[in-house]
Amino acid sequence: MAPETDSLFPSSQRGESSLPLGLTLLSGAIAAAVVFPLVWILANALEVGGTTALDLLTRETTLRVFLNSTLLVAVVTAASIVIAVPLAYLTVRTNLPFKRFWTVALSMPLVVPSYIGAFAFVSAFGPRGELQSLLAPLGIEQLPEIYGFTGAALVMTLYTYPYVFISTRASLKTMDARLVDAARTLKHSRTEAFRRVTIPQIRPAVTAGALLVALYTLSDFGTPAIMRFDVFTKVIYAEQNSLSTFGQDLAALLSLQLVVVTFVILAIESRVRGSDTISTSGTSTRGALVHLGAWKWPALALCLGVAGLALVVPVGILTAWLIRGGSESAAASLAFQWEYAFNSVGVSAVAALVAGLAGLPIAYLAVRHRSRASWLIERASYVGYAVPGVVMGLALVYFGARYGGQFYQQELILFPLLIFAYVVRFLPQAVGSTRAGFLQVSPTLSDAARTLGRSPVAAFREVTLPLVAPGLLGGALLVFLTTMKELPATLLLRPTGFKTLVTHIWSAQASGHFGHAAIPALVLVVVSALSMLVMLAMEGYDVK
Amino acid sequence: MDSRDTSDAGGAGRRTLGTSRRRFLQSAGAAVGVASLAGCTQFLSGEDANATETPEFGQIGSGRIGDQIQGGTSMQDMPDLAGELTIYSGRGEALVGELIAYIEDLYPDLDIQPRYEGSSQLVQKILNEGQNSPADVFFSVNAGSLGFLADENRTEPLPSDVTDMVREEFHDPSGNWVGTSGRARTIPYNTESLSESDIPTDIMAFPDQEQLADSMGWAPSYGSFQAFVTAMRILNGEEATKQWLQGMVDLGVEEYTDEFAIALAVADGEIDAGFTNHYYIQRVLADREDAPLATAFTEGDAGAIFNVAGAAVVDTAEDTELAANFVRHLLSAEAQAYFATTTFEYPLIPDVEPVGDLPTIDELNPPADLDLTQLSDIRPTLDLMREVGISV
Repeated sequence: MAPETDSLFPSSQRGESSLPLGLTLLSGAIAAAVVFPLVWILANALEVGGTTALDLLTRETTLRVFLNSTLLVAVVTAASIVIAVPLAYLTVRTNLPFKRFWTVALSMPLVVPSYIGAFAFVSAFGPRGELQSLLAPLGIEQLPEIYGFTGAALVMTLYTYPYVFISTRASLKTMDARLVDAARTLKHSRTEAFRRVTIPQIRPAVTAGALLVALYTLSDFGTPAIMRFDVFTKVIYAEQNSLSTFGQDLAALLSLQLVVVTFVILAIESRVRGSDTISTSGTSTRGALVHLGAWKWPALALCLGVAGLALVVPVGILTAWLIRGGSESAAASLAFQWEYAFNSVGVSAVAALVAGLAGLPIAYLAVRHRSRASWLIERASYVGYAVPGVVMGLALVYFGARYGGQFYQQELILFPLLIFAYVVRFLPQAVGSTRAGFLQVSPTLSDAARTLGRSPVAAFREVTLPLVAPGLLGGALLVFLTTMKELPATLLLRPTGFKTLVTHIWSAQASGHFGHAAIPALVLVVVSALSMLVMLAMEGYDVK
Repeated sequence: MDSRDTSDAGGAGRRTLGTSRRRFLQSAGAAVGVASLAGCTQFLSGEDANATETPEFGQIGSGRIGDQIQGGTSMQDMPDLAGELTIYSGRGEALVGELIAYIEDLYPDLDIQPRYEGSSQLVQKILNEGQNSPADVFFSVNAGSLGFLADENRTEPLPSDVTDMVREEFHDPSGNWVGTSGRARTIPYNTESLSESDIPTDIMAFPDQEQLADSMGWAPSYGSFQAFVTAMRILNGEEATKQWLQGMVDLGVEEYTDEFAIALAVADGEIDAGFTNHYYIQRVLADREDAPLATAFTEGDAGAIFNVAGAAVVDTAEDTELAANFVRHLLSAEAQAYFATTTFEYPLIPDVEPVGDLPTIDELNPPADLDLTQLSDIRPTLDLMREVGISV
């Protein structure tokens, strides 16, 4: 490793210290619980006979789906980095005008569910869409094709790049900018300084965000379905709907393949991430801001282009639906009720709390006690993130019904199952953010507390935890946001009669009553936006 | 997503139909076998001011649908319903929510818990839940998923006096499920650009029709369309079906996400014809009486299949008699009138005629001897479609 990526705390003895048994067991149990639903998927896939499996896996469809999925993940991840890193740099390290505003606006696409984004883009730019109708008087008969790979990649990128944007920003804010200044005084050009000093410092944050983008892209069903692009999730869904043994087998094998791809992505990320930097807690120092000069205009255009495309299109389309849907008395059962918003906020808050707590020991172990075991536990906690909600939902229905007995019948375990599904799917967001928090807290602080006579637990509670709290809270908020948007597992596992914003949007949309979908969608965006503001107010993962 | 059966509920077109179902049901229930349909057009656009009018048999407003609703047994003459029922409904809430709520409101001791998801998803859920499923009734958008559930031995046979309410081709021979409403495959066409004689009566002839080049629409990811191609595969074989699909692609058929959008596009003249279920045409016409849109049928082939939505009692039903009696209510005069006038489907009990400009069931020419439950076997169909490059 290049010298500048070495930790500021020279090879802490903590790295080699033996694993604390209780904590390891706890983290291991959490990781095992999270991986558990995969057992069902594995068992299903293994039931398919060897020759059948080989036959299925080498079919043209299977190969194409594999290629499509990996291509989409690669392009979306790369595009997210290409967009997000410059934007993060602009909003932190330069004199870009209205930085505060752009920070908020550029983070906001994360609150728009990607399937709503996809619908909006199809409505706006699709054949016979809103834009085409607007342009029709000018003689424009056709717009470039939005369906297929282009549309899927565009929409996925627009609604996932904020993962990289937010984490990179946090890292840029906390890195010691004096290093850059030092490099500059050593006659490095600005580009050279960026490459030699900044990139290694932000690399763990960028890869952490990119990992979330890659895994989200792999697991999303709505966007590729709407954009008519065959990827794992879409074909798994179609095959499951075919209600034949053959289709079930293929679905199971594709799910298995999906999990394998997930492991590959995790391995790649582990490689790229390199060694972590640990910054001195609370003493990040701002270097001089970079003056953009004439570059101000292209910079502003980039910000405006990205935020405008990602936010104006869906909000515009939703508003149009809302206005047009005004006269609808149709389907009274689809009328909006505030109860849906409360339900959404309720389950999301519980999921965020549980995920935050469950992620804490895993993140602590991963940072403070590096070993093969803690690495494995941390990686395992990521696997559920890539499993599509439908697959996860069906697996949990199976377990709940088989082993839940009367509790399942009476729907008593459905809420716990639902929360469990959310935690399995979104735990990595909590782990990643909390982990970043721990990285920025020097272990010497709690050592100092120990020498002052505090017990390890007291030292952790009084010294470490308050410093990690922003990262922990940021992760929990991220889980909250994602849970608010989750659809397939919610549909399958919610107790009968329990409706949330997204299940309501879904039924309104599926029956063509778009006017009824607009209000809950806008409420969803507003509630999520509020939690995003909270997150930004504490500047994400900033320890300060 | 589009293969979700709930999307059968009306389509993702940009227009929606205003109706006032609650009002309709109140009037439908008020008199035996009667529905107040004062002016279907106004009624559907939500402008119906006749809610207070006393509904009476034969007393109907504007002429188009006239005196179509007749016959059948009223809910009042059916056994009372009391107890708790969990209904897994593959039919969308927007379509049948009001009907279910109406039945629940009719009986003070009845508590219905409906659960709306895709039909296939619900079948899988029941199978995954095993004997611990809370489902009492499975209400499905097609015969295929009902047949699948029956083949897995997860249904409780219905009493013969329930299944006998519909003709024998619309219920399972062993009584495992019964059809509650019907949907016919049709060819909507624009009457300004085509006349009925331009539409072939043989579905296999479509790819050769030069007059239809670049002017037809289909929705390949849509469940009912896939059932239609499956029927072609069963009736004409894989090779002929593949050639037909390729032929349509070569003819320049346009892809839509659902069939309501196709019916709208034909009415607007964007395309001249398409492949849709019959009720989408009626929904467009209900909204725009003067639309240049008409219905054509092919004869005795896959293009003319008549599928049913229906219901079954799940073997985990706590009270199978209650569950069966609920299914019986779906075949009541009121429910059948509801399907005819609100969802524009074919009622399945004798004497209740379809609404709108449609032939009666007897005048349709569906292919003979086609087992409707086979139409759920879309697996090889998906392969065929993918082979010619259609994303499904």
